[in-house]
Amino acid sequence: MGDVAVAEAALRYAEVSVGYHGAPVLTDVNLDLVPGQRLALIGPNGAGKSTLIKSILGLVPVLAGTSTVLGGAPAQARTRTGYVPQTDSLDAAFPVTAGQVVMMGRYRRIGWWRPTRTADRRAVHEALDRLGLADHGGTHFGVLSGGQRQRVLLARAIAAEPRLLLLDEPFNGVDAVSQDAILSVLRDLSAAGTTLVLSTHDLTVAHELADTVCVLNRRQWAVGPPDETLTADTLRRAYGGHAIELRDGRTVLVEP
Amino acid sequence: MIEPFTVPFMGRALAELALLALVCGPVSVFVFARRLSFVSDALTHTVFPGVVVGFLAGGIEGIVVGALVAGVVTAVALTLLSRGGALSDDAATAVVLTAMFSIGVVLVSRRSSYTSDLTSFLFGRILTVTPRQIAETAVLAVVILGLLLISARALVFRTFDPAGAAAAGFRIAGLDLLLNIIVALVVVAAVRAVGTILVVALLIVPAATARMLTARLPLMAVIGTGLILVAAYGGLLASWTASVDHGISLTSASAVVLLLVLAYLLLLPLGALRSRRKHGRIISSEARRSPHELVG
Amino acid sequence: MNWWDDALHRATAEVLLAGALAGLVGVHVVLRRLSFFTMALTHATFPGVVAASIIGVNIVVGGVVAGAIVALGVAALSRHKSQNTAAATGVLLSGGFALGAGLVATQNGFSRDLTSFLVGSILTVSPQDLGTTAVVLVVVAAVLLACARPLRYTGFDRTGAQAAGFATGVWDVVLLLAIQVAVVTIVPAIGTILALALIVAPAAAARQWSHRLSVITALAVTLGALSGLGGLYASSRWDVAAGASITLTATAILALSTVLSRLVRSRPTATGRLRAFPA
Repeated sequence: MGDVAVAEAALRYAEVSVGYHGAPVLTDVNLDLVPGQRLALIGPNGAGKSTLIKSILGLVPVLAGTSTVLGGAPAQARTRTGYVPQTDSLDAAFPVTAGQVVMMGRYRRIGWWRPTRTADRRAVHEALDRLGLADHGGTHFGVLSGGQRQRVLLARAIAAEPRLLLLDEPFNGVDAVSQDAILSVLRDLSAAGTTLVLSTHDLTVAHELADTVCVLNRRQWAVGPPDETLTADTLRRAYGGHAIELRDGRTVLVEP
Repeated sequence: MIEPFTVPFMGRALAELALLALVCGPVSVFVFARRLSFVSDALTHTVFPGVVVGFLAGGIEGIVVGALVAGVVTAVALTLLSRGGALSDDAATAVVLTAMFSIGVVLVSRRSSYTSDLTSFLFGRILTVTPRQIAETAVLAVVILGLLLISARALVFRTFDPAGAAAAGFRIAGLDLLLNIIVALVVVAAVRAVGTILVVALLIVPAATARMLTARLPLMAVIGTGLILVAAYGGLLASWTASVDHGISLTSASAVVLLLVLAYLLLLPLGALRSRRKHGRIISSEARRSPHELVG
Repeated sequence: MNWWDDALHRATAEVLLAGALAGLVGVHVVLRRLSFFTMALTHATFPGVVAASIIGVNIVVGGVVAGAIVALGVAALSRHKSQNTAAATGVLLSGGFALGAGLVATQNGFSRDLTSFLVGSILTVSPQDLGTTAVVLVVVAAVLLACARPLRYTGFDRTGAQAAGFATGVWDVVLLLAIQVAVVTIVPAIGTILALALIVAPAAAARQWSHRLSVITALAVTLGALSGLGGLYASSRWDVAAGASITLTATAILALSTVLSRLVRSRPTATGRLRAFPA
């Protein structure tokens, strides 16, 4: 990394507003991420965290400002971007195995009509193995626990070897074992140069994993290192005065 | 424009449809809000064996009873199947609909009046509606409206906040069954006169169209009733004119339905515009609970 | 070929093919909860068929055009999340059927044609119809096989598929059109209202026995063909309307399958959550 004069920005959002049908739901977004950076999006329900992630994927229009993802427009970056959605946006009763789900991550490379190659099957197995699910390739997705499902979705994303990885609330309803497995893989990915963007309610995770935190609530309220950004003052302003409780010995109760 | 309706059978047809308009306006709002379009469609088909059995067993009088029994059986079967988990809701509905309808077909196919029985079941005989049938519809209408008035608040609560309604002590299964039975009663009240095709339309189209203009339930019901009245008038008039002035036979039921659907299609752009303006508010559906989450 | 001259022989071949075709698309109808949409399709092909016979065009063409309009209409309406898709489907269903009925009435050939449309006329299947059904079966099977991956992705995780760059709208249309072509082919034999049973019941039964799409599909095709055969046999044996007896056979198979699958497994299975798979 030292030899590269300027690290190419993985993601650059300048004065961005995003929304549907011309109506912005999130404004004033300014982000500048380099490869390997780990950004956590913090905010209450409805703050626009999922919307921001979807705009990075090109699924929600950018209404104002400039947005560059992996050097180009958001929609163009899709082949190099991995996405881990929330598990309850899926149809868990669908007849797919964990292995088939992970293989979905390879579809774009294979082309939807060609047969799978050995390289693809190996990538699927390795991805499952990294998440500790090597024995579950043939298991029906629907019988897996919430944490296992989340791990399968992450395996799907990494099977495509993404340079940018987006995760929508990846730790919701996830057991401790799965959470550790996910955190460990995310750290390894970041060290290898993959940029991470994840949304979460959980401040502990934000402190543990992220090197940058962005506080959102219909607009961007702050961005920076966790210790500087997750202050009682910033959170109070962003959450509109709701009662909040922070971990790690710091408890702040605010009058609504 | 009024003259055709001075003819007795046309006047009676309009009266019957007006009664149905009163009932179907509000009921269609619930069908819309609870996404019961398929269930309503199913009920219009499942009363068929009841109609046939009722007729075979008790003549004209038996039809209403037979239809009622079939309707209640359907409502119960659908409620049970969807809670039993053996089938998804829509597969269960599809299976109950077709199984019961085919029982009706089997029963009817052995009679020589097969085709005309089926036709009159589908399209009704609005132009041969008798004063007695109007009276029967009126009685059923009173019962239905009464049930709606009593249970409206509970039904609305359950529709928009099932968890809250359950927490407040309402029995969700009971409310669902009640609504299914109300819809079944509407079908029974209407099917003999206007046939299954028209009943389905009366239960689905009015609220869907009214939704283009407003999101407030009571207003939707009123607009729905108004739409049916206008379509009834227009449809009867059109079929009369086509038949008397032009010699084309156009079933009244079809004409009424087509006018309703036309209203829906014409108002569709308006509805799309309204929803665009409101799309700024994103309603988040997440409500996750993890040990360290922020309240928010 | 003398064997094909016998109407009953042709009817047998037709129910086998139609049953297989129904099972094939039925799997997707059940998985994606498209039963109401399929019902609307069966009703919406009606005006197309009537209009085509009035104009003098091949009725299959008429059915396909009308069904395509409905399929595209539903696909378009479901993109706007504010639209109640169920209501929109219901509107198209009643409108389509009323239109068809109105057209039929103007022709004064009302009752007979209508009845055979509603409950099917398997015994009047011609060798051409048989050929059409066979071709449609092969084509639909080929399309579903070729598009298996996009259909799997979009069915399982729509947003993820979009994020990966799949044009979900296009694949929706492909599936809906495949269902629609199958419906247009099956309806003349089994009837409008009852075709739904042959499409849904065998597939719903198949789903109770496996979590692998390939197994479910094979089972659905087999059960569909069996339903057709059983129904046709019952119809000729007891002099009952063929479409109705096929429907009741399919329903009976589903009921039997439900009971058996509950006995064989420890707990109800349709959602798959409680299957006893090695963890």
